[in-house]
Amino acid sequence: MPDEAVAEQVDRRVVLDLDRCIECKSCMAACYYGHGQMAGVQFVDIGPAVLPVVCRQCSDPACVEVCPAEAMIRDERGVVARSVIGCRGCGSCVRACPFGVLTLEMVGHQVAKCDLCEDRLERGLEPRCVAVCPTRALRFATAEEVEAEGLTVLGGRIAGDHPIRRR
Amino acid sequence: MSSPEGAALATEPAARCLMCSVGCPVRATRVGPDQYAPDYVPHAGYAGLCGRGSVLVELLDHPDRLRRARRGSGDGTRTVSVEDAARAMAEALRGADSPVVVADGSLDLDTLAAVGRFARDAGARWTAYVPPGDAGLVHGLDASDASPVGPEALADADALLVIGDVFAAQPVAAHWIFRARDAHPRMPRLVVAGGDTATAKFATARVEPPLETGGFAAVLAAVRTGRTDGLPADAAVLAGWKDQLASAERPAIVVTAELGYADGRALADQAAALAAETGAKLCPLTAGGNAWGAMRAASAEGGACPAEVLRPGADAVLAVGCDLLSAYGSAIGGSALDGATEILYVGPMANRTAARASLFLPAAFTFETAGRAMLGPGRLVDFAPLMAPPAGVPSVARILDMVGAAGGEPADVSAPCEAPAMPEVVGGGAEECKGVVVAPASDAVQYDDGSVTGRARWPQAVRPRPVLGLAPADAEAVGVSEGHTAVLSGPGGSAEVDVSIRPGQRAGQAWVSRGFAAVRDAFGWSWDGRRPGGPVCMEVHQS
Repeated sequence: MPDEAVAEQVDRRVVLDLDRCIECKSCMAACYYGHGQMAGVQFVDIGPAVLPVVCRQCSDPACVEVCPAEAMIRDERGVVARSVIGCRGCGSCVRACPFGVLTLEMVGHQVAKCDLCEDRLERGLEPRCVAVCPTRALRFATAEEVEAEGLTVLGGRIAGDHPIRRR
Repeated sequence: MSSPEGAALATEPAARCLMCSVGCPVRATRVGPDQYAPDYVPHAGYAGLCGRGSVLVELLDHPDRLRRARRGSGDGTRTVSVEDAARAMAEALRGADSPVVVADGSLDLDTLAAVGRFARDAGARWTAYVPPGDAGLVHGLDASDASPVGPEALADADALLVIGDVFAAQPVAAHWIFRARDAHPRMPRLVVAGGDTATAKFATARVEPPLETGGFAAVLAAVRTGRTDGLPADAAVLAGWKDQLASAERPAIVVTAELGYADGRALADQAAALAAETGAKLCPLTAGGNAWGAMRAASAEGGACPAEVLRPGADAVLAVGCDLLSAYGSAIGGSALDGATEILYVGPMANRTAARASLFLPAAFTFETAGRAMLGPGRLVDFAPLMAPPAGVPSVARILDMVGAAGGEPADVSAPCEAPAMPEVVGGGAEECKGVVVAPASDAVQYDDGSVTGRARWPQAVRPRPVLGLAPADAEAVGVSEGHTAVLSGPGGSAEVDVSIRPGQRAGQAWVSRGFAAVRDAFGWSWDGRRPGGPVCMEVHQS
C-alpha cells in the first residue's frame, strides 16, 4: 500500500556527506523538475563549502505552528508537507524555520518545500535528489545509519556545532 | 533503497544526454500539457543526470521552439512551407559564389556526414562546431598513440591525475572517481585546475596552471620532466607527481579540455606522453558529448577548420543547429555573417544567428531523434529519441532528404581525425597584462555557449548571470566584494558579472562562466593567436 510504503520510510532523512558533494546542483535540478518547477533543495554558500540543504522533516515543526493558512502540515506519517492550494506565500514558515532550509524565493507565490518525493516513496524509490546524486553525497538514511556513519542531516550542520571539514 | 524502474530499461536503446561525453541515459515523462519531468535511468550501477542534462526535457515543448519555416527579415517575414523553405535554402547555397555551412557537433553522426555531403554538393566550405578546447583535445589525441578509455574505467584506479575542472564540466564522471576513492581512500588525487574549483577541493595535491596559451600543457610537461622553469613558484608541488602515478598499480589520467584549441591540442600531446611514460589509463572527457564523432565525421567528409570556413567573404551562410555569434563570439561569428547576403538557419530554437537569418527552418533537437554518437574513441553508442519533436517539425536528416542530399550512408568514424590545419598561434605565450588574465570556466549549470541552457528556466533561476572568480588581492584592488556586481571589460566588449572571491586562486588571474554570450563577446576572440577559448587580459571595474 502506498501509505504504508511511505510510513516505513519517513524515519529516513535526506543526509549529506559533505566530503562527497561536488556542488554540481544535480539534486536541485532534479527537485525543480520533479516538483512543478519549484526546488525544495537549495544551496547555501558557507565559505569553505557550497552545500545543499533540504527540509529535515522535524517532529515538532515550527513552520507548521506559524502557518496562518494551515497550509503547512505534518501528516500522520510524519511527512511535513505544504499544501499547494492553501499556501499564500506569506513567508512565515521561512522565518520560523530554525534550520534555514525554506527560502524566501517564492515561485507562483508559494514557498518551495521538500515533501521527500512522496510519489517516489510510494513506489519504493528514493527521493529524486538522492537518486541523481552522482557521488552518493546525498543518502536517504535512518537515524541509526546517520549515527553509525557520521553523516549529517541536511540543515543540521549549519545550525549545529559540527565543523566543516573534508577528509 | 533502489531505483528499480531503470532495471527494466537497461537493455533497451536509451535516449542519451549529449551535453558532455559521459552520455548519460535519460528519459522523460509528460506531467502536464506542455511540461515534462526528467526521470533517470540507472547507468552502470547508479542513477544520475546532472543539472545541466536535466534541462533537456524542458526544451522538448518549450514555448520558444521554432515550429514554422519563415522567409524574409524584420517585419517582412512570411510563413512558408518546410518543403519550400528547404528548396529555397538549397537554391541559395547552390547559387552563391562562396557559400559556407556550419553544423552543430551535437547532431548525430550520420546526419553530420549527410550535412557534409550536402555542403560539398553545393560547393560550400563546411565545418562542425564543437567547443574549441574539445577540438584541440580530439585532434591531439587522435594524432597520438594513446588508447583512451571511458569514465567507467576510472572506477578501479588507485592513483589519479585530474586535469581541468571535471566536476563542473562532466559532473557525472565524479561517480567513478568517487568509487575509486572509496576503494582506495588514501589514493593520490593530483589536480591541475583553477583555484577553489569543486574538483580542486578534492585533491590531495593541486596546482593552478598559469593562464596563458598552453599553460595547462606546461604544467604537464613539468610533471613529466620535473623541471618547473617558467612556472610560478608554487609549481614546486609537482615534484614527485610522476613517480606517484608510475608507482601505482592502476594509475589513471582524466583530462577535460579547458580553454581553446591550442590549449587542448598541447594538453593532449602532453597527457598522451605522460600516460605512456607512467602506464596510466587516459580518460579524455569533452564538453560536447559527440565532439569526437563530430570531428571525425567532419574529417571524413571534407570538413575544414573553422578558421577557414568563418573567414570574411562568404555570401551565403547556413547554420545548422548552432549559434555562430554565441559559439565563437561576435568578433568571429559576426565577421562571418556581416558580408553574407543570405543567412540561413536550421534549428530547434531561435538564437542570435537565427535573428539575422533571411530564412529559417524549424528542426528537431538531436535528442528527439534516433541516431549514433561517438563519446570517445571506441565509445560509439546508439541512442533513441527522448520524445517526438513537436508536430510538423522535421529532423535535420529529413530536411536534407527534402533538398536531395545524399543520405542513408553511415558516417565512417573509425579512422582517427586527419586534423584540418589550424592557423599557427601568433603571439601565444604570456602577455603583459595590466588588468587580470581571464579564462572562460566550465559551469555545472550553464552549458557551453549557453544557447541551450539559456532557454531553460532552472539555469536561469540559479545562474542568471556569469560569475567571475577573483583572487582576494585582485578583488581588493578593484574594490569589489563577494556577491558584488562588476563589469568585465575585454577587447570585444564588456559583460556584467557577479563577483566570487576565491582565496585559493592565484592573484592576477580569474575565471568567468563561459556559458553566456556577453562573456564570449567580451573576449573578442580572433584567429590570430587568441583563438576562441583562450585566456585574455581584461579589466574589472565596479558596476
